[in-house]
Amino acid sequence: MKKIFYSGFIAGSILFVLCYGGLYMAVRFFPVVFVEYNNPLFNSDGSRDLLFYLHAFIISFALSWFWDRFKGLFHGSYLIRGLEFGLVYSIVALLPVMWITFSALDITATMVLSWFVYGLMQAIAAGIVFAKTNP
Amino acid sequence: MLPLSYGFITYRNTSVKWVLNKDCSVKVNGSTNVNKFSCVIPSYPKADTLTFYKTNLNEPVKITGIMMLDIRAFDCHNPIMTKDLRKTLKADRFPSLIIKFISLSKYPEPSEKAHLLKGAVTISIAGVTKKFEIDYRCLPIGGNTITLIGSKQITFSDFNIVPPRKLGGMIQTNDTLAVEFILKMTQLN
Repeated sequence: MKKIFYSGFIAGSILFVLCYGGLYMAVRFFPVVFVEYNNPLFNSDGSRDLLFYLHAFIISFALSWFWDRFKGLFHGSYLIRGLEFGLVYSIVALLPVMWITFSALDITATMVLSWFVYGLMQAIAAGIVFAKTNP
Repeated sequence: MLPLSYGFITYRNTSVKWVLNKDCSVKVNGSTNVNKFSCVIPSYPKADTLTFYKTNLNEPVKITGIMMLDIRAFDCHNPIMTKDLRKTLKADRFPSLIIKFISLSKYPEPSEKAHLLKGAVTISIAGVTKKFEIDYRCLPIGGNTITLIGSKQITFSDFNIVPPRKLGGMIQTNDTLAVEFILKMTQLN
């Protein structure tokens, strides 16, 4: 349990910097990609900002538990284990969620695809951290 | 009309009605940190009248009359932006943008050349009313008809509206909006 929490916290901290730093840079250098977020579907009053920024830790703790249960299935170097873990998570969990999201909400395929790639990168990064901190 | 002469100065105390044409329009320009937007209400189907109370020549005139615009008529040339603006302006609860005309620095004679004027209006958005000084360009377009182009920078916060922010504030709408309204109106009497 302690290892799950410790790995989750380390991964959460790294994802926080990588994801929100990356998002900030992407908004700054590729603003056109984000124009479609001016959409009433997205919360606009700031009331959920804390939840938004906690996402890095929520996904990290969840993936840390998942890693701890199934880490024996991933073999090879820590990079290969992290990569495979990220792919497994993305196919098992992310792909169906993105599918239903695109089918139900008035959003573009580009937007959904960018969320899928973002989630995949998060899971690979977290997997690499877990392979190091909780082998 | 009641002209009173005191020496060489002519005083008039009269009211003149002007009818707003359907070609009146309102444009709002704004920006976010990722794009610019321009939203327009392209026409004004109501034939509302404004009453100008003339006193002295070249003296400010008092005006009564309003323009009541349907917020849902805003078109931002992008359906998603249009929906977002309506949500921001709380169109469900406050469906109208109301411009109440109060005064003009000088009576807009249709026979004069193009000239600049100043005036006062109140603008009501999302249930909040605020008074503004407006800069107008007055363009006579023949007969008894003129075009008054009024422009003013306002802010969302003038109307207690928080500018929209998305993705934890990564995408932010700037508080300032440039409003331009084009009044095409014809003098009735």
